[in-house]
Amino acid sequence: MGLLKMLLRIFSVAGKEIIEVLRRPGAVVSLVLGPFLILAIFGFGYGGFKKDLATIVVIDPASSLPQDAASYQDLGTRGLSVVEVTSDRAAAEERLRLGQADVVIVAPTDPVSTIEAGAQADLTVIINTTDPVAANYAAFLADTMSTAVNREIYRQGAEQGQAYAITIGGKDLSQVPPDVIASPTKAVLQNLAPLPPSVIGFYGPAALALVLQHLAVTLIALSIVRERSGGAVDRFRSSPLRATELVIGKVAAFGLLGGAIAALSVWLLVNLLGVPMIGSPGSVALVVILLLIASLGLGLLISVISDSERQAVQLSLLTLLASMFFSGFVLRTEEFSTPVQVMSYFLPVTHGISLLQDQMLTGVFTAPWQLVALGGLGAVLLATSWLLVRRELRPA
Amino acid sequence: MVATGAAGTTSRRVQPIDSTKVAVRMVGVGKRYNGHDAVSGLDLEIPTGSVVGVIGPSGAGKTTTIRMITGSLAPTRGTAEVLGEPLGRRSRRTRERMGYLPQKFSLYPDLTVLENVDFVASLYGLLFARRFRRRRQVLELVDLWSVRGRRASALSGGMQRRLELAAALVHEPDLLVLDEPTAGIDPLLRRVVWDEVHRLKERGVTSVVTTQYVTEAEECDLVTLISEGRRVAFGTPDELRRMAFGGDLLEVTTERVFDVAGLGDAAGIHGVQQTGPRDFRLVVEDAGAATADVVQAITAAGADVAAVRESRPTFEEVFATLVERHRAQRAAATAEAGDGGGDGDGDGGSTAAAPTEQEAA
Repeated sequence: MGLLKMLLRIFSVAGKEIIEVLRRPGAVVSLVLGPFLILAIFGFGYGGFKKDLATIVVIDPASSLPQDAASYQDLGTRGLSVVEVTSDRAAAEERLRLGQADVVIVAPTDPVSTIEAGAQADLTVIINTTDPVAANYAAFLADTMSTAVNREIYRQGAEQGQAYAITIGGKDLSQVPPDVIASPTKAVLQNLAPLPPSVIGFYGPAALALVLQHLAVTLIALSIVRERSGGAVDRFRSSPLRATELVIGKVAAFGLLGGAIAALSVWLLVNLLGVPMIGSPGSVALVVILLLIASLGLGLLISVISDSERQAVQLSLLTLLASMFFSGFVLRTEEFSTPVQVMSYFLPVTHGISLLQDQMLTGVFTAPWQLVALGGLGAVLLATSWLLVRRELRPA
Repeated sequence: MVATGAAGTTSRRVQPIDSTKVAVRMVGVGKRYNGHDAVSGLDLEIPTGSVVGVIGPSGAGKTTTIRMITGSLAPTRGTAEVLGEPLGRRSRRTRERMGYLPQKFSLYPDLTVLENVDFVASLYGLLFARRFRRRRQVLELVDLWSVRGRRASALSGGMQRRLELAAALVHEPDLLVLDEPTAGIDPLLRRVVWDEVHRLKERGVTSVVTTQYVTEAEECDLVTLISEGRRVAFGTPDELRRMAFGGDLLEVTTERVFDVAGLGDAAGIHGVQQTGPRDFRLVVEDAGAATADVVQAITAAGADVAAVRESRPTFEEVFATLVERHRAQRAAATAEAGDGGGDGDGDGGSTAAAPTEQEAA
């Protein structure tokens, strides 16, 4: 009889939560369609590549270097779009300040003479940005540009047969095409991944993990905070309901809702957005279940330590923000220092993203320990939350 | 102290109370919040099968007392037992025997009337057949069966109150704790609520009720009056009247102008109050027994009695008199204690309340 009553209480808590969620049509629509729409907009709207930077090349009129934009564009420097070649450096810098150009490249006045004198000629790249990522990108492009110009100088030297003795092992290479002499090697990229990378394929599983964590955290956190502020917790204290039954009921309800949303989202991702699904559905389901349990534990923790609905919302959003930065969704976790990497492992979504990407895109778990970590994290979060909920249900 | 059942005609519903069985016992109970005593030194024994009213001014500590009985709050001092088990160690079985109606609406706005009652019934472990039967019974009782499919958010304040009552009753508790059950509902429904409380009493259910309507104290077998977190008085409504005025009251009208000073120290008269040239109020030990003596004394003093009747002061008067007296006593005690008196740590509550009750006794 006791077990029957316990099950009855668990089912009544779970049923109540599900009914409450379903009774809000707006919430249902945003829960079901929201994640899919976000993914679709992201997938279709994000090209995955930066637009070419509008570049002005400053050339001294007396320089032997080409004076037309097409010649520089032909150097094959990816990421730069030469929009103007000018001899007026001040005017070029002014256009950079006004945002009419992204990069100004100042070519050396007489590179050949400088090289003949045994020194490197400066290829000055000027940018105007406060964005560290953009600055790094410009530096990378500047190096690429420098390499291309060097190659061009080699090519011109080889072509004109000037006084450079170009030999390998004492052999005269005058019969070798100048392009080969200037650029003796070329990179050929091979990718061992089962499928060629695609933006939506890569970010789809990650966005799904992020959305599932956020939904689970927010739903369960707000549920308990509302019950506390509405007086229901007071009723629970005087009733036979135990913390175990309350926690299991809520986790079951929001786990079921989250699972249904995850199943629908995966189906839409695969069938409408073309996200690969190489792994087994069972493995994906396992990851989703572990991710939801850990996220619900985190949400419960937030609900117990929040003293108002506003604070619960703030903490949920902070969790989302931390997840965006540190989970590997935007930046790879390996790019962070070790302490921050360790911190990121306490976010369920960090493991969720990695495991879902593994299963959906490659069909294997490249880091199986993350399954254990995610399960352990869920167990610790749920146990801690359960202890705190139990304390809350005791007389105040 | 266990007060015996309401006697005479003062209480509307008089049922014998078995004072040997106690549903709630609180001894020297106090609750301190942030350095402030919400309740202090409270002694209370609620006999099984009685209807006990907890009344007092706003902020007196009524809800704190109620919440300690339900187990929502733990006392910081004293000991308490509910249904034979100490507070804080109550079993699930004991909790299933309690029903609680909180002061504010705490059910779920997005659930329908029926779903809310169903949910609470499930919390209390009502299995299917009994749950289906009881939810209909209680919703019919509070006249909400016809709107059982309506969401709670779409109910009026009074209907929400009735829904709360239905939820408190659905599992047929032995101890019913009602925090202002009649607040915000119309007089007709207030009558229904009290009728239901009395009906439950006939079945042996103990009810502890707070109310903001002082006149509803008449509905109770016993009343505990709380002010500033301390018990001011405890007894039947009649006993509280006697505590307030020192005895029964007689309203007397004479044929001509009469100075009450002429009555002197007539036997059996504890106090007199002139209320008009020919009207005065007497405090006597027992109105029934003293009437003949009073008429005789007035006649002896040279006046003819036109009318004499027993006066039943309203409970507002009783309440105001007892609370004012308690406050005056507290102020005097504080003044005597000087600056060190303060709010006390709770023990003072018992001593402050005791003289009030002893005075009347």
